[in-house]
Amino acid sequence: MKLTNKFTIWYFAIMMVVLLIGGAIVYFEIQWKISRVEVVRHEKLNDLIAQQVSKGSDYSNHPTRKRATISEIPADSMPKEASSYYTRGVGWNPEYQRNEYRLVVTSFYTINSRHYRISTYSFIPSFYQLLPGVVDSFKWILLLLLILVAISGKLIPKYILSPFKRTLKVIQCFDLKQRKPILLPETRTDEFKELNEFLKKMTDKALEDYQSLKEFAENASHELQTPTAIIRGKLDLLMESDIRDDQAILIAEMQNALEKLSRIHSSLTLLTKLENKEYTAQKPVCLSALTREALESFEELIQLKSIELETYIEDKVYIDLHNALADLLLTNLVSNAIRHNIPGGVINVHLTKAGLLISNTGLPPQVPVAELFERFKKGDPASDSIGIGLAIVRQICELMNFNIVYEYVSSRHIIAISFQSSHPASKLLQNLNFPLYPVMQP
Amino acid sequence: MKVLIIEDHQELARNIHDFLAKEGYICELSGNLETAREKLGLFQYDCILLDIGLPDGNGIHLLDLIRTEHKQSNVLIISARNALDDKIVGLDNGADDYLTKPFHLAELHARIRAVYRRKNLGGTHIVEFNEINLNTDTFEARIGNTTLDTTRKEFDLLLYFLVNKNRVLSRQSIAAHLWGDYTDNLANFDFVYQHVKNLRRKIANAGGTDYISTVYGLGYKFTMHKHTAETKNLDEAH
Repeated sequence: MKLTNKFTIWYFAIMMVVLLIGGAIVYFEIQWKISRVEVVRHEKLNDLIAQQVSKGSDYSNHPTRKRATISEIPADSMPKEASSYYTRGVGWNPEYQRNEYRLVVTSFYTINSRHYRISTYSFIPSFYQLLPGVVDSFKWILLLLLILVAISGKLIPKYILSPFKRTLKVIQCFDLKQRKPILLPETRTDEFKELNEFLKKMTDKALEDYQSLKEFAENASHELQTPTAIIRGKLDLLMESDIRDDQAILIAEMQNALEKLSRIHSSLTLLTKLENKEYTAQKPVCLSALTREALESFEELIQLKSIELETYIEDKVYIDLHNALADLLLTNLVSNAIRHNIPGGVINVHLTKAGLLISNTGLPPQVPVAELFERFKKGDPASDSIGIGLAIVRQICELMNFNIVYEYVSSRHIIAISFQSSHPASKLLQNLNFPLYPVMQP
Repeated sequence: MKVLIIEDHQELARNIHDFLAKEGYICELSGNLETAREKLGLFQYDCILLDIGLPDGNGIHLLDLIRTEHKQSNVLIISARNALDDKIVGLDNGADDYLTKPFHLAELHARIRAVYRRKNLGGTHIVEFNEINLNTDTFEARIGNTTLDTTRKEFDLLLYFLVNKNRVLSRQSIAAHLWGDYTDNLANFDFVYQHVKNLRRKIANAGGTDYISTVYGLGYKFTMHKHTAETKNLDEAH
């Protein structure tokens, strides 16, 4: 639900409560005011009548006496403090011939040592007569408010929230890789100012961190590769000197360890670079051509291992992928399929616009296949590989939003990559040209 | 061949120097941009090995100078930075090749020779040794008058051996040369063994001399002389 709608609903609720209470206040205020005015009028009228009485003339037909009652009362009936009071209630209206709401004001006077009680009355609007008026007017007020709030609820947020929306847009476009600090729109709203300041600080920090991470990766690469290169060079030179056989073995072992070290190192640096998204595709690459090239470069290895290669490569499969990454992806997958194959086995490469599928015969995996995507996870712990090839493959797929699955079915290792993120890679397994699930086919 | 090594790491520079000196190359060292500029101002070189990360600046800046003043020099960038941008910028600015640290010295030598062949021998792409004749343009190998039916990798291997004659080539170095940096999954050096075996067989079948010998534990060596009895025995024991 939109923020402005929430505000509007709360505003309506508060308005209803205020209007209800306000209605009651207005009603009672009017009622009281009307009574007050009448009471004052009647007190004055009573005073006038008292003056007439004190004059002693006959005023019985005078207009003042129309609704007045004058009675002489004994001295002990005189109230001690108040000289007048009023009552309200329903009374008979002889002029109108029906019961009506009536206000009676009674005053007490002592005139020439005689005590009088003078009461006059008039008819005022009753509760039931006033109420519809009050309700009616509040109905109109409510309607007016509703219309205004509904309209302003649409228009005002557009104006007030525009800096927020612009900030949101800037943040959505923010890309660490471009290394450009964000430019947030000016605003006079304190909250947005605070938000912008916070975002600015946060993105600046992220940029800084990204920069130092990148620098670290590059420095580590530079600083470690040079000593490795020196050691390797020294070993190369040492190899050519006059050495004994046992020394040769030692050198060979050092060479092996060094090889591994340098490979681990360069792979980790590469993974970091992938995570930092340093490779973006400039233009689509033709995966068909690259796949053929990769297979060609491994052709002899495939033959050496007496592996049968089955391919189906669709022409002109273009995908948005950095050339180096495409190369890396294919090389890793193909070399993986060769390395973990059995002598006389099969490699099947199936490339279509929907995805790439590479399967190879091989021994059953020792660990769950999904774990083979983890870094330094190897199907065979004794093997010489460092177990990072598939981690690189997965990283590339994640980077490009490709969907990748690894399955081991009917003694085949199958890696399927779907180029469309909406299309799960497991679907690619269905259109294979070899029986994937023999049990399902009677 | 006169080579200028612009590299700030003394040890690495010495490695290269020692290795190339054995080939009879005349090598000069320069540890920073300034001395490199001086040397380039005074002398001419056939090949310049250029490290990008130098203490007083980026080696890429030297490429302009080299391109204008040393047109006939080959430039090989050696860098620890495997950044693709560096590679592209370097090659765009007139470098002839790019090698990432850590490299095998034999590989460096092979690259130096390759760019030298491309640029200096006026279109002839022939590498010869006794009866062996390799055409690096057509990838044709001949033993005397017989054409050797080699695969591309075997050709590369033979060329690698020829360039690095009398040197022990480790299996790692050969694997890296043949399959590049992607040898992670192919650490199994059986492949190297297979290739060498096939190559030797083919040369022998064509009537060539078997110059390649196994060096116990380490790798292989292309020797100008026939095998001594000792290495021959070890060879067979492999």
